[in-house]
Amino acid sequence: MATEQSVDLVDDETVGWFTKAVLIAALTAALAQISIPLPGPLPPFSLQPFGMFFAGLVLGPLWGGVALLLYLLVGIAGVPVFSNGSAGLGYVIAGEGTGGFLIGFLVGAVVAGAIAHRSTTPRPVADLSVPVQVAALVASVAVVYAIGVPWLSMVTGLSLVRAATVNAPFVPLDLVKLGIAIAIVEGGYLSGR
Amino acid sequence: MIEIRDLVYRYGDAAALDGLSLSIPDGQYCLLVGPNGSGKTTLVRHFNALLTPDSGTVTVDETDVTDDPVVARTQIGMVFQHPRDQFVAATVGADVAFGPENLGLDRSEIDHRVAAALDAVDLDGARERRIDALSGGEQARVAIAGALAMEPSYLVLDEPLVGLDWPARESVLDHLDALAADGTGVIVVTHDLRDLHERADRLVALHEGQVVLDESPSDALGALPDLGVRDPRC
Amino acid sequence: MLSYRPGSTFAHRLDPRSKLLVQFGLAIAAVAHPTPLWLVGTTAFALGTLAAARLSPLAVLRSYRVVLAVLALAPLIAGIALGPPWFRVEPALRSALYVGRILPVLFVSAAYLTSTPVRDTRAAVQRLIPGKPGQILGVGMALVVRLFPLVLADVREVRDAIHARGGETRPLWERARLLAVRSLERTLDRSDRLSVALRARCFAWNPTLPPLSFERRDYPVLAVGVALALSPLIPV
Repeated sequence: MATEQSVDLVDDETVGWFTKAVLIAALTAALAQISIPLPGPLPPFSLQPFGMFFAGLVLGPLWGGVALLLYLLVGIAGVPVFSNGSAGLGYVIAGEGTGGFLIGFLVGAVVAGAIAHRSTTPRPVADLSVPVQVAALVASVAVVYAIGVPWLSMVTGLSLVRAATVNAPFVPLDLVKLGIAIAIVEGGYLSGR
Repeated sequence: MIEIRDLVYRYGDAAALDGLSLSIPDGQYCLLVGPNGSGKTTLVRHFNALLTPDSGTVTVDETDVTDDPVVARTQIGMVFQHPRDQFVAATVGADVAFGPENLGLDRSEIDHRVAAALDAVDLDGARERRIDALSGGEQARVAIAGALAMEPSYLVLDEPLVGLDWPARESVLDHLDALAADGTGVIVVTHDLRDLHERADRLVALHEGQVVLDESPSDALGALPDLGVRDPRC
Repeated sequence: MLSYRPGSTFAHRLDPRSKLLVQFGLAIAAVAHPTPLWLVGTTAFALGTLAAARLSPLAVLRSYRVVLAVLALAPLIAGIALGPPWFRVEPALRSALYVGRILPVLFVSAAYLTSTPVRDTRAAVQRLIPGKPGQILGVGMALVVRLFPLVLADVREVRDAIHARGGETRPLWERARLLAVRSLERTLDRSDRLSVALRARCFAWNPTLPPLSFERRDYPVLAVGVALALSPLIPV
């Protein structure tokens, strides 16, 4: 049976990266809904940035960017994938002043992927040196703040300094998350990927 | 006709298929059995060029499948174990339409095929239902419909009955009978022959990457325990 | 939270592409000019879109109450001064005006969400973005929508399993590490099966695109969207 037009199959390697990007997008969405309760008055500990970390390290800049872009698009389309089951373009722009952090995750994944892989074709994580991976993770967190803080300032009319001050209490938590991600890399937990 | 000649495929140093030859004529209902690791899944994944042989050839209607994977993948519909992981859309109709959409068919032809495929598995009313809300048996039937929407000549099912309860299992098998009676070749990969051996025309057993038994199911049953497959009559 | 509800309002009957353009256009327009008059204008427009979707502004405010409560703190923070008079009105008002601009954006996005099924946005993305990127993003969206509940269930199972084995006695960083790594492994375990299924079904770069129909009523809406997107050029 001949088909009416010629079917241009997606090549096997692309299908493989694409499905991984799709799954890490879904994982980013799932991690945004899960948090570990902390004792006392501390806010719950969410694992949302790990979507960005994994996207950059496992998928590289191109497919890592695709993963986070899919996450944002699905949220804009109305699937409750942002923190606390939020959705919509309004949430990406404003959030609790946190919209810039969502955009920051996308750019952070691309930057982490670019530093770690230095090519749009990702290499196995086992082939990446640990210091380079650590540098990629640190840079991605820096990017998230570099976008999130000015964005908060734009949305709220707060000066940059005040916007940064408002974010200061979250910095220690993010440093803990960064430390956990570095421990994951140094422990070789991703080297099978 | 699916024709396999001297097929060799290795995972690293281990030969999963070791010079295997087999031909399956149109419209046959064939069981492919063998213990875990005997090469069943590896074999069927060559039928539609999901795997490329290290040596040997696979042809479907005299076309080499590696030359034209599109023809192989439309001629041979494949349903895998764990249907939950092979759906591409959240609703039944959108999932079944995925294959025909990839073929670039007109929307009216796609709608027609989706309706016909769902009708063939008695899910014609389920087009707008969420796949996650369906039972395991219904999910297996949606997966079959997804393959049927390509209008294949053969349907290959890799362990389609794992995890299904008895009524769901019967229902899936009855639908396969109807498809076979309608002229579609049915190839079922399984290590569990309960309820299957009476329905099929042929039983092919694999062991260590080679065909070790190729008979009618009723004649083959006695030899099965030696091959690590349970006799379904026990 | 707000989500799609079936209906036949004017907003429901529009093509998602014209609605998306209005949504992005308004987001641009809302931040274009931080003046009270402009804010009144964009808010009035946004209320109009809510009316077109038969959605009560109060229901929208209620569903965004956490967001709004947090944003409402901004003018207070902006007004705090580290010396007499301790609170300055002028920066507080400026911040209030900035935060106020968010309101119409939230309204329009709520109107979009409640009147547009997810699959329509996916279809719009696949049709608006040409070539391979459009196909990757369109099919990718459908797959993420499909897989999100499965992966969420996986992650919850991993969390509960850690908990069931006395995980809460472990330090936080160790629990978080276990949860993140095990969740990633569980998730990527699905990847090979999904790849094979896509390939078996002829996953192609040039499929039949999902159906959408651009009707006559969409043209004025499209024009409004374009005008909104260009509104920063209007001198105020």
